[in-house]
Amino acid sequence: MKRTFAFSFSILLQLFMFSASGADTIAFPLKIRAGADLFGPAYRIAGKNNISFEGLLIIDRDTSFSWVVSAGYQKYFFSQYNYEYSAKGLFFKAGTEINAISPLVSRGKYFAGAGLKYAVSFYTYEAPFISSENYWGEVNSSIGRISRAAHFIEVSPGIRTEVFKNIMIGWSVHLRLLIYSGTGRNLRPVYIPGYGNGTKSFSPGLSYYLIWSIPYKTEKINR
Amino acid sequence: MIKPRVTGLISGFALILLTALLMFSCTPQSCQEETEVLIGASFYRSGTGRIAAPDSVTVYGAGKEGSYIYKKAAGQQVIFLPPDASSDYCSFVIGINGIYDTLTFSYSTYPHLLSKECGYTFYYTTAGCTFTTNIIDTVIIRNNRVTNRNEENIRIFF
Repeated sequence: MKRTFAFSFSILLQLFMFSASGADTIAFPLKIRAGADLFGPAYRIAGKNNISFEGLLIIDRDTSFSWVVSAGYQKYFFSQYNYEYSAKGLFFKAGTEINAISPLVSRGKYFAGAGLKYAVSFYTYEAPFISSENYWGEVNSSIGRISRAAHFIEVSPGIRTEVFKNIMIGWSVHLRLLIYSGTGRNLRPVYIPGYGNGTKSFSPGLSYYLIWSIPYKTEKINR
Repeated sequence: MIKPRVTGLISGFALILLTALLMFSCTPQSCQEETEVLIGASFYRSGTGRIAAPDSVTVYGAGKEGSYIYKKAAGQQVIFLPPDASSDYCSFVIGINGIYDTLTFSYSTYPHLLSKECGYTFYYTTAGCTFTTNIIDTVIIRNNRVTNRNEENIRIFF
């Protein structure tokens, strides 16, 4: 984490270094990057009930623009005095990512930009215990397993830096906008895997990535 | 020389990320929604058809004598009656100006998620309403969907 925060300073340093170099063209390595979100497993180890795994694949189209696909699995459980809720499912995201740093500075090693992805979550949920109380007394009930597909858009600003040759770390925040939860008004999901709180149309998230980069092509860019 | 545009972008990103992170302050939220689901019943005068509060209203669930919902309440133009989620019907004994009638609702019940914080409650779709006619003249169902909005569902003419 410390290294990631130090990234901002290293970018400034790179800018200074760049101004001192003298070549007319620079070889920019376009890469295929495969990574995993470490935040989900860390959250699980920290003793939380949720299990979350997500892997992603980033393919550089050019020096600033990349295609991104990711897939993951999430299992969620929530319990409070008047109900229990559990959900699990697979989610898939596809979109683009734009690096706002000049290619002359980033050189395929640094990223500060944002991604825009369309996502679908195929999930099942149930509420094995519901309790409601009024004048007539307490009523206990349950909602059986329901399978649905939710659609949402994810905007992910973030930063990444190469810490070892072809190994990057970085983090992104996710700002998710729910398009369709797959349910009616009454049985909205408390939680949608890959999205978050299904009762809200906006859900934030955080990922900490470890990424392995494989250079597949070199592009020469003029200074 | 530092390119101001690039540094501006980096600063912008840092600001966006910081703002987004602040949104992560996972303070547990409390239940803010209305959790009670009640049938709203308004009183109307049969002769005039105008809304009117009886001099006194007493209400309790049939079979729950002594457990009053309203007890000789004055100035009540609207009363709210809690349906029984464990059954598909329930009855209320309603005393208007000291004269008692029984009002029976039949309905279907379905669960409704209020919010993550509040959990689930039960909503109802009223199928019908029967009543005795000691003082009640007519009952009209205005809105058969009973939710936590606690709006007017029936009109009682007396």
